[in-house]
Amino acid sequence: MLTAMDISTSGLIAQRTRLDTIASNIANMSTLRDENGEAQPYQSRHVIFQTTEDIGTSYGAVGVKVASVELDENEPIYRWQPNHPLAIKAGEKKGYVAYPNINLNQEFVDALNATRSYEANIGAIEISKDMGNQTLRIIA
Amino acid sequence: MSHFLSPVESTTIPILEKVVGFAQSRHTVLVGNLANSDTPGYQVRDLSRDTFQERLRELIETKNTPYASSAQRVDNYDSAMKEVKDSMKSILYHDKSDVGVEQQVLEISKNQTLHNMAIAIMQNQFQLLNVAISERI
Repeated sequence: MLTAMDISTSGLIAQRTRLDTIASNIANMSTLRDENGEAQPYQSRHVIFQTTEDIGTSYGAVGVKVASVELDENEPIYRWQPNHPLAIKAGEKKGYVAYPNINLNQEFVDALNATRSYEANIGAIEISKDMGNQTLRIIA
Repeated sequence: MSHFLSPVESTTIPILEKVVGFAQSRHTVLVGNLANSDTPGYQVRDLSRDTFQERLRELIETKNTPYASSAQRVDNYDSAMKEVKDSMKSILYHDKSDVGVEQQVLEISKNQTLHNMAIAIMQNQFQLLNVAISERI
């Protein structure tokens, strides 16, 4: 029963991490500089999950963990803003500013999906708790 | 000739115990499916209820054999559970496809009912034992 709760908790943590990246993507949809102050439009982050035997049982139950956070390599959106301090100075994109290419629809649908998965894990924990309580009631 | 049975062994408590143990193990596996519902390439896992019930049936038959000694019985209990475990490892759904969250939740719910039913019956048996011991109703 305790392992079951550990597994559900690993699911909660994974889904919350996913929501964190979604929040980050939405918050940074207009961010033009990276964390070092360099002019680099924000690239959206996406989590990849993987199973983990660290949380699991000998008969095949497994937990989940975040394997990696991948950067989205798609093209930035170029906007014609020649007077902008970060406008591209030379080349064929001269006078354009590179903005993060974030698909808000995708982010919100992802957020809904993560929320529902989170709720499913909460429900599973409730059931684990109930089964544990019932077991304790045998001797009561 | 009369074979001695301990008070607990004369009831169905040992069998119910196996059912509860199986339900809890299966619950852990099903919860793992739910936690991995967004893991790429994850295949749904399950413990075979059929295999378990088959083993349980064999177990009950052995138990009812009059000459089986107590030690033998314990032996059979363990081997029965071990074989279930072995069969669990490789069990995947035959089409190797992912199954939706709804189906997993339904399975968890059904499993919970089985678990709580076994425990309710077990409680009842303990109450009966209590009545017998205290010679009072």
